[in-house]
Amino acid sequence: MDDSLDAWFAREILVHEGALVAFLQRAWPQRAEVHDLRQETYVRVYEAAGKARPAAPRAFLFATARHLVTDRLRRGRVVSIETVGDLDALNVLMDEMTPERRLDARQVLRRLAGAFDRLPDRCREVVWLRRVEDLPQKEVAARLGISEKTVEKQVAKGVRLIAEHFYGNGTARRAEPARAAEAEDGNGHGRQHPD
Amino acid sequence: MGTDMAGSTRTEREAAAWLARRDASGWTGRDQARLDAWLGESTAHRVAWVRLEAAWRESGRLRALGAGLPAGDIPARGQWTRPGPPADVASGPAPPAARAGSSGVAARGPFDAGALVFAPRPREAASRMPAFAAAAVVVVLAASLALGLRFYPAAQPVAYRTAVGDLESMPLADGTQATLSSDSRIVVSLSRRERHVDLQRGEAFFHAAKDPGRPFVVAAAGHRAVAVGTRFAVRRESDGVRVVVTEGLVRLESDPGPDGRRQPTTLLPAGSVALASDRGVVVRTDSVAQAEQLLSWRDGFLAFHDTPLAVAVAEFNRYNARKIVIGDPSVAAMRIGGNFRWSNTEAFVRLLEQGFAVRAERRGDEVVLHDR
Repeated sequence: MDDSLDAWFAREILVHEGALVAFLQRAWPQRAEVHDLRQETYVRVYEAAGKARPAAPRAFLFATARHLVTDRLRRGRVVSIETVGDLDALNVLMDEMTPERRLDARQVLRRLAGAFDRLPDRCREVVWLRRVEDLPQKEVAARLGISEKTVEKQVAKGVRLIAEHFYGNGTARRAEPARAAEAEDGNGHGRQHPD
Repeated sequence: MGTDMAGSTRTEREAAAWLARRDASGWTGRDQARLDAWLGESTAHRVAWVRLEAAWRESGRLRALGAGLPAGDIPARGQWTRPGPPADVASGPAPPAARAGSSGVAARGPFDAGALVFAPRPREAASRMPAFAAAAVVVVLAASLALGLRFYPAAQPVAYRTAVGDLESMPLADGTQATLSSDSRIVVSLSRRERHVDLQRGEAFFHAAKDPGRPFVVAAAGHRAVAVGTRFAVRRESDGVRVVVTEGLVRLESDPGPDGRRQPTTLLPAGSVALASDRGVVVRTDSVAQAEQLLSWRDGFLAFHDTPLAVAVAEFNRYNARKIVIGDPSVAAMRIGGNFRWSNTEAFVRLLEQGFAVRAERRGDEVVLHDR
């Protein structure tokens, strides 16, 4: 097993992204900021793990997320008794939200297939030819009659969307594929309901 | 560590752009140095990169979905999650007659000469064959030869067979290594589209050569194990097939059940032991080491671990003309463990006599085990 920090991070932390995002969405009223909180959580976990790997990665991930949210609330950017109340309830709920711990290879493939199917048409074609048929980007471009630059752009888009659906399991940003962080979310208060 | 709110999305986009550029041609050492510098700028860059790179690497596994599909055909959405082999949808031109019934071989694609010849009555066909002493016999189908050379240039079905107690390893024309267990028979047909093996009897282990464009398909009793490049074994059981995967990933498909309902496709990662029958597919996922144990016959051994004696005896009988017979039900239920050389029935029986309340009665071609 690859024991580098990066491999550990993918294996032990990223796999919980769906649960993490669900947690953040419920704990943080501004949906548009969840992406940033997620990254900030990852940064803290990665830096801490660089010094010493936590023994219980999932628990550590959620403790980190909780501290982060509490810190930000204390800094007064959002004042909401309700939110803080929710946060306590979430400590208990955390484990229930994603019962699966580790995916077996079959589940991984099913999830990948789901992520793949959710790509926009052009992007999906590019990813299929590049990843399944293993054609170089240049040949993908020739096959689809588009420029290599476009293929490269589609690859960049594809990898983001695949990561989002594969790790996040589609929990995050269901409604807004690309412009999440730019849009100031007007009605982002309270509980998030799936769209 | 204050990234501003739009920052995380921007970082993610930059990481994705780096990854897409590296994925294109013409990536140089200087590009790598620039990427390294970008990654060194902040942990935020690093985690965004690690996340996308891991997702991209995982997406390589999608290749398993493409096995068996013609190149350039991008399948419609949604067929992965619903039951039924994807190839049914995508490879439209397959002749409907070839997949009718549960003949044991579902020929796919344009090539099925070998399957049509061998498929319908594997048992009778096998019993009509003279009992070859030689381990591997090459059968050339004269009738299909003339046609075959013309229409299926790469596809002359070749049969291999072992006698009871023999074990034979042979390279196939595509570079695959096949190991045939005792009393087994396969028919191999290699075409440009597919490498097709019909397991007509017994068990065979394959170290399939990697060839993404040409899936490696082992068909038996209405089930098909599809691999791109991997190590796995398929064997016929009394009411179905067993598939053991020790490396890579195998896709297991089955003909429609007796009620005409489609069977779901099952993906088997390394360490899987799948039992497929008319009633469905049962999968156990063990460690690869445990799965390997089921294949120790290749080294001349049978490995048992808390195994009912009836099961162990059935294993032995696969390899020996001299059969062990269980005389008492209480003997059948005894549990044994250990590694045994399958060629030496006598040593096994003597061990049972010494270690258990078992009395062996030797008569002709049989050894009957009684309760003592």
